[in-house]
Amino acid sequence: MSDVLTPLLLLYPAGALAAWLPPRAEQARMLAVGVHGLALILTAAVLAGFDPHQTGFQMVARTAWIPGLGIDYAVGVDGISVLFLPATVLLFLGVHLASWHVRQLPRLYHSLLLLQAGATLGVFCAVDTLLFFLFWELSLLPFYFLASLWGAGPHRNYAATQYTLVMLAGGVPLLFGFLLLAFNQAAVNGLGLPAGLSFDLIRLLDTPMPADLEWTVFLLLLLGFAVKMPVFPLHTWLPLMAMEGPVAAVSLLTGLKLGAYGLIRFAVPLAPGAAQDMHWLLAGLGTFGLLYGAVAALAQTNLRALLAYSGLSHVGLVLLGVAAFNLQGVQGAVLQLVNFTAVAGGLFLMSAFLHQRLGSTDLLALGGVAHTMPRLAGFFLFFVLAGMGLPGSSVFPAEFMILMATLQTHTGAGLAALFGLVLGAAYFLNLYRRAFLGPVGNATVAVSRDLRPRELGLVLVFALLILFFGLFPTSLLEVIRPAAEAWVARLS
Amino acid sequence: MTELYWTDHAAWPLLASLQLLPLAGAALLLRLGEGPLPAWLGRGIAALELLLAILLYDRFDVHAAAYQFAEYLPLPGPFAYHVGADGVTVLFVLLGALIVFLLSLYSLVRGLHQETRLIATLLAVEGLMMVQLCTFNLLWLVAASALELALVGYLVGHWATSPQKDLATSRFYRFQGLGQLMLTAGVLVLGWAHRDHFGGGWTFDLLDLASQPLTPRLAALCFFLLFYGLGVRTPIFPLHGWLPTVARHGNVALAPALLLGVKLGLYGLVRFVFPLLPEAVEAWSPFVMGFAATGVFYAALLALQQTNLRALIGFAVVSHTSLAMVGLFALDPVGLQGGVLLAANFGLAVTTMMLMTGLVYRRTRSTRLDRLGGLFDRIPMIGLTFFIACLAIVGMPGTPGFDAAHLVLEAAIHQFGALPSVGAALGNVAAAGFLLWAFQRAFLAPAPAARAAPVERATGLEWFIAGVLAVVLLTAGFHMAPWLDLVEAPMRALAGRFGHV
Repeated sequence: MSDVLTPLLLLYPAGALAAWLPPRAEQARMLAVGVHGLALILTAAVLAGFDPHQTGFQMVARTAWIPGLGIDYAVGVDGISVLFLPATVLLFLGVHLASWHVRQLPRLYHSLLLLQAGATLGVFCAVDTLLFFLFWELSLLPFYFLASLWGAGPHRNYAATQYTLVMLAGGVPLLFGFLLLAFNQAAVNGLGLPAGLSFDLIRLLDTPMPADLEWTVFLLLLLGFAVKMPVFPLHTWLPLMAMEGPVAAVSLLTGLKLGAYGLIRFAVPLAPGAAQDMHWLLAGLGTFGLLYGAVAALAQTNLRALLAYSGLSHVGLVLLGVAAFNLQGVQGAVLQLVNFTAVAGGLFLMSAFLHQRLGSTDLLALGGVAHTMPRLAGFFLFFVLAGMGLPGSSVFPAEFMILMATLQTHTGAGLAALFGLVLGAAYFLNLYRRAFLGPVGNATVAVSRDLRPRELGLVLVFALLILFFGLFPTSLLEVIRPAAEAWVARLS
Repeated sequence: MTELYWTDHAAWPLLASLQLLPLAGAALLLRLGEGPLPAWLGRGIAALELLLAILLYDRFDVHAAAYQFAEYLPLPGPFAYHVGADGVTVLFVLLGALIVFLLSLYSLVRGLHQETRLIATLLAVEGLMMVQLCTFNLLWLVAASALELALVGYLVGHWATSPQKDLATSRFYRFQGLGQLMLTAGVLVLGWAHRDHFGGGWTFDLLDLASQPLTPRLAALCFFLLFYGLGVRTPIFPLHGWLPTVARHGNVALAPALLLGVKLGLYGLVRFVFPLLPEAVEAWSPFVMGFAATGVFYAALLALQQTNLRALIGFAVVSHTSLAMVGLFALDPVGLQGGVLLAANFGLAVTTMMLMTGLVYRRTRSTRLDRLGGLFDRIPMIGLTFFIACLAIVGMPGTPGFDAAHLVLEAAIHQFGALPSVGAALGNVAAAGFLLWAFQRAFLAPAPAARAAPVERATGLEWFIAGVLAVVLLTAGFHMAPWLDLVEAPMRALAGRFGHV
């Protein structure tokens, strides 16, 4: 099968350059939408060509990139990663639509988002650890600019620098982990440095490793990914960025949990023994994050901060699913991550709609939104209910699988997770009551208009997807299953 | 390593023309006097030199582990003319020619006074730089180095941007003068030892000296003298005292780019000190490492406290040079490759930052961070190029800094264990911290209220300068293989002297 992933990855930087061509700056956004449209077609081609019965990587394209160091350009997808491609494209499309009327430097804004989209897709496609690292780090830079120039809060510069530095610091253990893996590869095949180095994930997965090295690698990778997830106590950048960052684009941070993906894709399969030995650490971090995020969310008075903490709570649940180390757990975890793109991303995009209308998402500025913006309020309720895992939404099967898996393997943590879900219902419903119901408390709310057709179309697509895959979850689960089975098989 | 004569690869002595062309050009320009035409002639010569450098790269055989394009001319006594190039030479020649070419364009943008004389000085410095890069004779090295530094000092004083230029020049001459003295003394001791041992005439040829046995004490003395002399030039902690003053009170871009862009100090270490004194290098490497490790953090800390962009970049350089030293003194092929590439990468990146700062200075007449801000809207390309250079220094993937830093870290893990390497890598993140902060203050923060009119947009020539640098940094970053190939063979041979294969 010919290579579809490379054109997909090249499309975005090309689009980012092309955004400077149209004579009027506003036309850049049309171009961005066009690029995402093309990308959707390409991802559809990827999905169509994807064979759900195969366990390994598919559509692998490989070229030597820096042969002297054993670094390849290698991309491919498997059941764990393939679903993230359309989800990512959709979410980015949503961000463009939600910041349609960005006033300051619109060309730059849209081209930065396109670059970020390309880097994010690269993270999901990369099969070479250093190529992955390249995309991982590249995805930071556009966001640094987005946050510095279009941040909503007065401390946006601080938030942007802090975010970038925290992520760069998180990149250090990742790089060291990958280097140690490559050293081990060189030691095993008996070639010296740098000739024996290999960063190819497929090859690294087949290379045996001494137990103590495995521990070191796992801890390094876990540390690197934990910063991005984020895991308590490394999470402080997320609420800050949620408040200070560019409102629409922050949905990318809450919607795309790259850290959790990295854990499932790299950390556990590359160091399966150590990961299993440290199941208590994963489960503990997961449980604690879940409860901490929920309690902290209860105390928030701003919609965006609340969504940031609820994201912390949700990623805790994903960690629990991984820590179960069985098929149900990891399937649920991947499905949950895919769901987040629509649910958490969608919720944040809707708070961007609110922010655009009211200039704030503080509960003081809200209240009674349902009276003047019934459609927005209705969809928000739908997403809130989906986020709580209501049956009929696609979150339900994912949460159910994770809980089942956890109750079997870590009963205590599973019970705590159940409690956390109750807390989740509490903060979501409490928030909804205060922000959307009740009398109209604010003059701006009274004169704001409801969802525009563009916005309506966006949330409608997200809502339909959530509903459809809630009713027919097997279609997604079947895609994930072979790769998840292989993932579990590595552990024994 | 063996030598291949220029007749093997080229139709004419390429290295000689690389050295003579800019020197002859400088003399011609001085004779012609001021005027737009001579200035453009000078730029043409700089461009021609760049083409020659590219030709050298094109003809160079990367797989032969030999000095190539060698030329020999018996001059009286110890002054024999003997030159040759390995991959590292080619890399630095390319870098130097590119930097001087861009500086000659930059002088046009800035509209500095006595333009022709400025370009003549630049060309003369370039010629002397090429002499130092190509020569095997240490006497030639010392002489060219002294002349070059004298000219750079003139550049600092004559085209200074600050009334305190005397402070800058006197500090520069004092530090460099002492360094040159040490370097000369070291070279003389080496030559004397050779004559003492073998008898016959005096020689200062690298290939002759490299074969002589030295007692450990004498070797240590020579190492100290040479290391001090080259260390001041580089500069490395704690010999960097001249840099912040010169950066702040001298020219914005000219002299700093010449001194820091082509890191002749590190080049001298690799080309001369390592092959000449392998035992001493090995014995003293723990101390050098100690200084380098301290330097990374000390300079990063000072950089964080600067309020002037130029001084900040100055300290940033000291911090990063230390990282390159870590790579070089790991003394294995991977580390040496990484160290050399890192030196070239930092050179290019720092030059970029200095040039972009110069373009900003043209508009704001200040490089104080509180007087900058609000620039990104007006001059995005200059800002973006500055940012790319920041990333190259930090070692972000996609810039040449990444592969080089990653090689250095690989070597460091092997030689010194994981913990110090993690420390060095975190030092790099600290560097990222102050650069990102400076970039934000200078370009992204709101414009200061005192600025009356919005700054002028970038001219075509400015776009060109910024664009060339950005493209070179990014292409080298994404396509690193040719540069790795270039330095691999010589560094593998050099590592062989330290028992690493």
